[in-house]
Amino acid sequence: MKRKLRAKWMWTSLFVALLAGGAAAADYYDHATTTEHLASLGRQDPNTVRVCEIAKSREGRDVWMVELGQGSDRDRAARPAMLVVAGIEGDDLAGPFTAISWIERLVRQRNEDPNAAKLLETTTIYVVPCLNPDATERYFAKPTEEIGRNGAPNDEDHDGLIDEDGCEDLNGDGLITMMRVEDKEGRYIADPNESRLMLPADPLKGEVPAWKLLPEGLDNDHDKRWNEDGPGGVNFNRNFPYNYKYFAADAGLHPVSETETRALADFVVAHPNIGIVLTYGAADNLRKTPRSAASPGRSKPMEAISDKDIGYFETLGKAYRAKLGLEKELEVASEPGTFSDWMYFHRGRLSLAARPWDPAMAVALAKPQKDQEKKNPEARSRDPNDPNAPKAEEKKPAKNRSDDKRGKDERDQLAWFDGHSPDAFVAWQAIEHPDFPGRRVEIGGFKPFVRTNPPLAMLDEIADKQGEFLMDLAGRLPRIEVARIECRLLADSIYEIEILVANTGFLPTALAHGETSQQILPTRVTLDLAPECFLAGSRTTFLPALAGSGGTAKARCTVHAADRTAIGFEVVSTLAGRVKGTVELLKPDDIGRN
Amino acid sequence: MQNETPLLRNRRLAVTLTLSLLLLGPQARPESPSNGEPTKTPAPTAMAYPALGVSAERKVDVSWNRYYSHAGLSDILVRLNQAFPELTQLYSLGRSTEGRDLWCIEVTARNMGDPDRKPAIFLDGNIHGNEVQAGEAVVYTAWYLCHQYDRLDRVKALLDNYVFYLVPMVNPDGRDFWLATANGAMSGRTGSEPIDNDRDGVADEDDCDDLNGDGVVTMMRIQDPQGRYKADPDYPQYLMARVKPDEPGQYTLLGWEGLDNDGDGRINEDGRGGYDLNRNWAWDWQPQYIQNGAMDYPFSQPETRAVANFVLSHPNIAAGQCFHNNGGMILRGPGREGGEMKGSDNRLLQMIASRGEQILPYYRSMISWQDLYTTWGDEDSWLYGARGVLAYTCEMWTTANLYKTGNDPTDQQEAEFIKNVLVDDAVVPWRPYDHPTYGPIEIGGQKKEWGRTPPSFLLEEEIHRCMAFALYHASVMPLLRIADVAVEPLGDRVFKIWVTIENSRPMPTRTGQDIDHDICPPDIVSVKGADIKVLSAGRVLDRFFKRVEAVQARPERVELETIEGMDATRVQFIVQGSGPFTITVDSAKGGLLQKDGSLP
Repeated sequence: MKRKLRAKWMWTSLFVALLAGGAAAADYYDHATTTEHLASLGRQDPNTVRVCEIAKSREGRDVWMVELGQGSDRDRAARPAMLVVAGIEGDDLAGPFTAISWIERLVRQRNEDPNAAKLLETTTIYVVPCLNPDATERYFAKPTEEIGRNGAPNDEDHDGLIDEDGCEDLNGDGLITMMRVEDKEGRYIADPNESRLMLPADPLKGEVPAWKLLPEGLDNDHDKRWNEDGPGGVNFNRNFPYNYKYFAADAGLHPVSETETRALADFVVAHPNIGIVLTYGAADNLRKTPRSAASPGRSKPMEAISDKDIGYFETLGKAYRAKLGLEKELEVASEPGTFSDWMYFHRGRLSLAARPWDPAMAVALAKPQKDQEKKNPEARSRDPNDPNAPKAEEKKPAKNRSDDKRGKDERDQLAWFDGHSPDAFVAWQAIEHPDFPGRRVEIGGFKPFVRTNPPLAMLDEIADKQGEFLMDLAGRLPRIEVARIECRLLADSIYEIEILVANTGFLPTALAHGETSQQILPTRVTLDLAPECFLAGSRTTFLPALAGSGGTAKARCTVHAADRTAIGFEVVSTLAGRVKGTVELLKPDDIGRN
Repeated sequence: MQNETPLLRNRRLAVTLTLSLLLLGPQARPESPSNGEPTKTPAPTAMAYPALGVSAERKVDVSWNRYYSHAGLSDILVRLNQAFPELTQLYSLGRSTEGRDLWCIEVTARNMGDPDRKPAIFLDGNIHGNEVQAGEAVVYTAWYLCHQYDRLDRVKALLDNYVFYLVPMVNPDGRDFWLATANGAMSGRTGSEPIDNDRDGVADEDDCDDLNGDGVVTMMRIQDPQGRYKADPDYPQYLMARVKPDEPGQYTLLGWEGLDNDGDGRINEDGRGGYDLNRNWAWDWQPQYIQNGAMDYPFSQPETRAVANFVLSHPNIAAGQCFHNNGGMILRGPGREGGEMKGSDNRLLQMIASRGEQILPYYRSMISWQDLYTTWGDEDSWLYGARGVLAYTCEMWTTANLYKTGNDPTDQQEAEFIKNVLVDDAVVPWRPYDHPTYGPIEIGGQKKEWGRTPPSFLLEEEIHRCMAFALYHASVMPLLRIADVAVEPLGDRVFKIWVTIENSRPMPTRTGQDIDHDICPPDIVSVKGADIKVLSAGRVLDRFFKRVEAVQARPERVELETIEGMDATRVQFIVQGSGPFTITVDSAKGGLLQKDGSLP
């Protein structure tokens, strides 16, 4: 027993020592700290950073939008842009920390790193560090309860009373955890392989249920249901129109029902230059490539990523997993009504979603490390003080070997917490519960927020890796340029003009579904010449979508105009920026005259 | 409620509005009541005798054979509200895109019960700006109810028992645009937010133009030997006919009157607005690529948002109708194949609509997607799907009414009607015009009012009949009564109380859709008394065999899934104690009822 504990401690210290740069983050950011960080960024570099309030939350907090980029408002609105949204899932504090850390680094590095400098000159970055400050603020409240939703009133148990039966901190530890009640009417047993965890009893295995498993609290409204209608209304990341789940308890009265979600929706509608979106939250399409399918045909809703677009999700997912050190795809739960799905399925943007960390990822990241040590004995010898540590890790699953797969993920995760953040689980502790006189009632379980947000010691490293990925992502926006201008004299004052436009970015000027969705205007080339001068073609030529990595398309027209006229033109793309140019109507003998 | 602007704030506005109307003169303010000026001729009522239908006494005199602008209908609403303070409240639900008030007039007997707790019918109209008679129909309903309250017992009962929420103009911008400027029959349907219909980066830059300045947007045609049209040989002023094979052509049709304002080689391709407020509702909403005109997300527009917030904050709304034109259709959901519609709700909707088919000659009861076409995100589907409210879209006016034969008239019959009944007041004669692109052309054809709106002498009938159907719809809403509270002693100060709750109308307090999705809370029957302890309670499943389904907890309240229409529901309480007690029935759509009793 002693040895095992020591091994765990060593493992933790090894991990902490591996963290880059020493000092770990002191804590997650509360609303005041977030505001302070953003204000200070704005002060440091007012020409690059603009912070504005896009909404006031239900409880009166500012919802901030940070805009990074140089130049006039007009310039920035026309440039290729990326949007990062965090804190949309109200229990996510790692996302906001990550987003803020990235923009702070970006602004800091602007003077040394030419990539960062160039990015801010050519790209607009929009960041909503925390869309649901009312919910994230609950992390700092006592007692601490993980709710993830705003405070909109909601009659979850449909009894005509609103928010009348929430949780209580019965054991006075300042945390809302779980409560298990010994009860023949329960549905749970203690996991035979890990007595701290609970499993639904399986009658086919002859298991007799012994426990009720409930959130910590009293039956305030005496309906024999516990904590079934507490405070908490809308999860903002379930409140968007694609795959919206009407009548779900956390979805709101209708899509985009909340001030904050409406502000975000209005913002993206007003900023059509956004080509890439990354949303931090429970949904994740980077750990695993999402489902794809052929378009279902005209006037039928898309229900999976277009098979013509899936390659981009696949490539970026690989880049993401490589950055994080994940060797294979991890299973993800799909969520209805997310912002990220809305931005792809209804608005046609490349829309990515990620949970920066969770226990499943932690377990997956711990494993290959272990495998590596097995393969490479030198890695083990780096830590001469503790030759037993890896062995202990190897032994543990052997000891618990069982063909019972039920609850395995949770057991693995608890084991990971035991090794890295042993405080995360509150040991079950008996209390007297007024609703269950004379019965065995125990309070315990995972602390609120520990399974959605990494231990503080890991936070900086996670934010660094996410920041590197965001940097990579921002460099992949589509970007048009004029590749070639040809002007042929057909007869006196009659010219054939050909303007070749190329996309030097990684992404196409519109995804296949971007075109289907009708939310991205076609790239257009407009010549500054009176309509009656065109013998063929017209002032404005609409181009098909330009593929990424050098895709081209051309505008052609025949004009009747005075020789040696210089005709200005502009190429305008919704997502890939705009460029201006000039065609000179030169006679062959003009060439070389200059 | 928070979205409603109380009348007080708007009274000043309304007064200013009325004053400005007075200044505009008589054509803007018809039949103005005595305004202090001495009149030499006797009041019109002294020389008039009432026809059946409405009373002779008109506190607010209105001509119902004409159309009114937003200001005109607003003025009628303000006058109604001032003349009938005991029956009406007037408030604004919000403002349109261009800042016009979205009026709601609430009509009920305010001294009979709590207006907020009476079962309610919600009527709105004119969500499509060009479908103007919808606005008159809704205001007429308010006008009619107010004037008949003291005169007709059935109207009195309607206003004593129920509330009418009447929103005549959901799209007042479109209405005023259509009425006040040169237009065709379909323009003005949209709201007024600029939309880039031709996707060239500029919004609303190429609308129709009244080229010949006659105040109407009609059609353009050009003489063309290769054209596929000719003037109809029998009705050359009224109709165009297709040429037969080998017959020489006479005209090519060039579409609505207009120019290529933006020089892109196309005419009238990006007019005002370009979306559909009746595809912006949250139920079964789909984006632009599936549903044209849906806009960016449900309730993105101030008009739909304001109306939806009003409905969401009034759970007492049990019935709804949205007035449109045209086609003579009583439409119910679902709007799309496979959309939700519970069997019991469909049966009730079908029953009500078949009465509507009698009240409204030549109207047909139809299921939207099946009998008309698919719509995503329309209003009546939202009222039913998301709120569990039994709702219709009423498509007012059908040309089957021209000759009252029940058949849709042919083009030639319509031409005859224009010629002989309207004495040509529906067409603009073709006149030459020199067009900058086409050269010499002709401009003319049917006026915007023709086809979709009734002519003056049929308008009053149309709006009265549509209202009559809405009144019938209202009259089937739940009407609850605590019919009986029976006390039976069981000894040892223990009593059995049976409460009988009667619903004397066909509509249940909660529809199948409401129950299925827990939209409104259940109906709650409770007992309270100072010296009373409730031991057990439950719903009576069989009153003769006395089978009772006991509640699991909180015996002082029994939750009922619904109170069926034309039926009675019984609840049992076993109590211990003595003295007075009160039975309360709290039903979102059935109202709040109380009855006192006493234990010996």
